[in-house]
Amino acid sequence: MLSFILLATVMTVGALGVVTLRQPVHAALSLVGTLLTLAITYVTLQAHFLAAVQVIVYAGAITVLFLFVIMLLNAQGDERAHRLGWVKPAAYVTGVVVAVGLMFTIFASPTTLPDAATISAALQGGNAGVLGEVLFSQFVLAFQLVGVLLLTGIVGAVSLVERRAAQEDREQELPATTQRERELTRA
Amino acid sequence: MNDALLVTFVKALALCVVLLGAFAYMTVIERKLLGRMQHRYGPNRVGPFGLMQPIADAIKSIFKEDIVVSASDRFVYFLAPFISIVFALSAFGAIPAGPAGSLFGFNPWIVDLDIGLLYVFAATSIGVYGIFLAGWSSNSKYSLLGGLRSSAQMISYELGLGLSALTIILIAGTLNLREIVDFGVWSLSPLLWLPLAVSFVTYVISSVAEVNRTPFDLPEAEQEIVAGYLTEYSSIKWALFQMAEYVNMMTAAAFISTLFLGGWRGPEALNALVPGVAEWPFIWLLLKMAIFMFLFIWLRATLPRFRYDQLMRFGWIWLFEIALFSALVTGAIIAFAL
Repeated sequence: MLSFILLATVMTVGALGVVTLRQPVHAALSLVGTLLTLAITYVTLQAHFLAAVQVIVYAGAITVLFLFVIMLLNAQGDERAHRLGWVKPAAYVTGVVVAVGLMFTIFASPTTLPDAATISAALQGGNAGVLGEVLFSQFVLAFQLVGVLLLTGIVGAVSLVERRAAQEDREQELPATTQRERELTRA
Repeated sequence: MNDALLVTFVKALALCVVLLGAFAYMTVIERKLLGRMQHRYGPNRVGPFGLMQPIADAIKSIFKEDIVVSASDRFVYFLAPFISIVFALSAFGAIPAGPAGSLFGFNPWIVDLDIGLLYVFAATSIGVYGIFLAGWSSNSKYSLLGGLRSSAQMISYELGLGLSALTIILIAGTLNLREIVDFGVWSLSPLLWLPLAVSFVTYVISSVAEVNRTPFDLPEAEQEIVAGYLTEYSSIKWALFQMAEYVNMMTAAAFISTLFLGGWRGPEALNALVPGVAEWPFIWLLLKMAIFMFLFIWLRATLPRFRYDQLMRFGWIWLFEIALFSALVTGAIIAFAL
C-alpha cells in the first residue's frame, strides 16, 4: 500500500509535468517517467508481462517517436502562434467530466477482486499466455477492429507523405538518393 | 526474505563490477585485434603487452577537465550518460549463466523472470534515450544529428530484432530465458533448422545495429558529424557512454548465445570425455560471448560504414521482411507439420 501511494504520487507529478512544462522535450521526458512508474506499478501487482510491454511499446517506441518529431522540428516552448482560444476551457471541462465519471464508476459500483486462485492462475508464466488466449478468443473482434484502425492510420499517414513528396519532386528535380533520404527522415 | 534480497543485491553488485572490468579489458582486446587486422601492433607500451592500458585510460578520463557546454540543457545533459550506463548494466541481469544453484549454492542469475526475454528488450530500448537525449541536450548540430540518426536506427532495427526472437518464442513456447536454454530450440525438429538459421542471421545483424557498431555506427560517424552524440562530452561522462556501448555489446553477445546457441550449456558430446562438463556454469556462456565479441570487432575492421539511406533501406526492405517471413514459416511448421 505504501509503495502504491509513493508510485501514485510520482506518477501524478509526472503527468502534471507533461501538461505544465513549457519545453516540449521536458514534457516528453516527464511522460517517459510517468510511463515507467506505471510499469513499476504493474510489477508490484505481479503483472510482469504488462509491465514489460508497457516499457517496450510506450516508453521504448512511441515516446521515442514523439521526441524524434520534436527534435526534427526543433520545437520550442514559446510558440504561441497556433494556440486556439477555445482549447483551454474545453480541456478543463473534459478533464473534470472524465475525473467525475471515473470517480463515479469506482465508488458507485466497487468491484471485488476474484479469489486468490483465479488471480494466480491468470498470472501464470508472467500472464503472457493467458492474456494471449483471452485476446484471441473472448475479445477477438475488438482485437481485430483495433488492428484495422491502426492499419487505416498507417495508410492515411503514408498517403499524406506520398502526395507531398510527389509534389516536391515536380517542383525541384532532386537526385533520387536525396529524395529518398528526405522521405525517410520524414517517415 | 531479507536474505534473498541481500543475495540478489550482492550478485547484482558483483555483476556490475565484472561487466565494467570486462569493459576495461575489452577496449585493449579490441585495439590489439584491430591493430593485428590492420597490420600494426596496437597498444603495447603500458605494462607487459600493454595490459595496464585500461588503467592508464581510466586515470586519464577521470582527471581530464570535465567541460560542460554552457548553452546545454544542464539537467538532461547530466542525465543522459547515466541513463545509458544504468540501463546497459541492468539488462544483463536476466541472463542465466549456469544451472540452478551452481554459484556456490546460489543461482547464477540475478533475476529469474517469466518474461526475461521481454525484460532484456525493454531495458535495451530505454537505453536509446541516453544517446538520444545526449544528442539533443548538447545544443550542437552534430550531436543532434547523431541523436536523430540513433533513434531512427534503433526503431527500425528493433523490429528485425523482435521478429527474429519471435521464432525462438514460437518454438520454445516461453519467454523465460532459463526455460528457453533448457528447451534447446534446435532439438524440436530438423524442419525448423532453416527458419532458425535465417532468424539467427537476421538477429545477429540487427544486434550489430542495435549496439551502434560498424557498419551501423552512423550515430558517431566521425568523418561526417565529428563524433555524433559524443561530440560535446568529455572526461568521465564520455567514458560512461563508452562503458555503455561495450556493456551493451556484451549483453547482446550473451543474449544471442542464450536465445540461439544454448546459452550456458556446452556440447553434450564432451560429456563422454569429462562427465558433466557440458553443465559447467559460466565457461560456455563466456566462450560463446567471446566468439560474438570477436565477430563485432572483426566486422569493425573489415566493413565500411553504411550510408544513411542504405541503412534505412536495408533495415526496412530486407531485414524486416526476411525476419517476418522466417517467423511466419516457423509458425506454419509448428501449426501444420508437427
